[in-house]
Amino acid sequence: MDRRYTAAVLVFVVIATGLTLSSYQVFFGGFTQLTNYSKTPGYDLSGTQLFSNGTLDLQISRVDGPDTYGGFIVLVQILYPNGTVLYQWNASQLGHVPQSAIRNEFPLHPVHSDGFALVVPLGQNATVVLQAHRYISPGTYIVRVYDVDGQYAAYGRKFQATVAVG
Amino acid sequence: MDRSEGSIDGTQMALPILRITLGWMFFSAFLRRVVNVPAKMNPSSSAYVGGKLLTFIPHAWLISGVLEYTVEHPALLYEFLVAWTALEAIFGLFMILGFMSRLSGLALALLVWGIGLGAGWIGTTCLDEWQIAAVEGAAALMFMFTGSRWLSLDQLIAKKYPQGLRIGRWHIPLW
Repeated sequence: MDRRYTAAVLVFVVIATGLTLSSYQVFFGGFTQLTNYSKTPGYDLSGTQLFSNGTLDLQISRVDGPDTYGGFIVLVQILYPNGTVLYQWNASQLGHVPQSAIRNEFPLHPVHSDGFALVVPLGQNATVVLQAHRYISPGTYIVRVYDVDGQYAAYGRKFQATVAVG
Repeated sequence: MDRSEGSIDGTQMALPILRITLGWMFFSAFLRRVVNVPAKMNPSSSAYVGGKLLTFIPHAWLISGVLEYTVEHPALLYEFLVAWTALEAIFGLFMILGFMSRLSGLALALLVWGIGLGAGWIGTTCLDEWQIAAVEGAAALMFMFTGSRWLSLDQLIAKKYPQGLRIGRWHIPLW
């Protein structure tokens, strides 16, 4: 057997095996904390802003969960730091947000209302403008969203953001 | 067995068991998008496969930036999908036919891991996309070394040109 051929085969045994095992760790933490990020919907609200006139710029991106379905936001809350609700939008309100109040980062699979919920497709990142129609005094608040499964956290990340009203 | 000889041993005879199924995985992707459900290649359809690239972004490995840029430029995305689908059709068919099996093995390995870097984390019940990328990728790389010298077009080509494609004094082992 040609020695260079043997060496080349060994190199590719290492490449193929290395790709398989390293991607197992990268995608699923298979050798440390095994996690499947496409099981349950997860959201990130980084960049969300709240204004004293009651305008909420909900910056929502869908970062976990199934690629073919959902996720469905059925409750958006503004909370005082102690957890008391200051204001909230329910499912029927979130199911009827006009498309003009939603700015999607990517043209495909846009965030939209479907009559029952605010639909946030996997990978999309959008700004959804909601109006509380009330004055909000200066201070720190928590903005939180609930998925239709009743959860506001997944994979150790809460679907909420701390916002300051100046 | 010398790697460049046209000899056919028992191992070579068994390779079509995997080769044809491996090729079909790629060639059938082309059939689904172009023959069965052409809406998959229609940018204004909800079935448009361009949307899949968007779903890869949150946990993609190394290529999140490339995916974001592509999805933000619809014309580029469409051209990318056409080129990708064509490559899957060509090298999938080549693998089925056993034509330039070594080159096809390399091409298919690159294609499957191109998707795998993005989609590898997706799969709601099993680790579906990762399993696809890992197994098809390893299989394709194996064909880069073995070629396929039985039940294949390469069997005929190798009889005449056992050393591969000759350019000057170089032999490129495409089969």
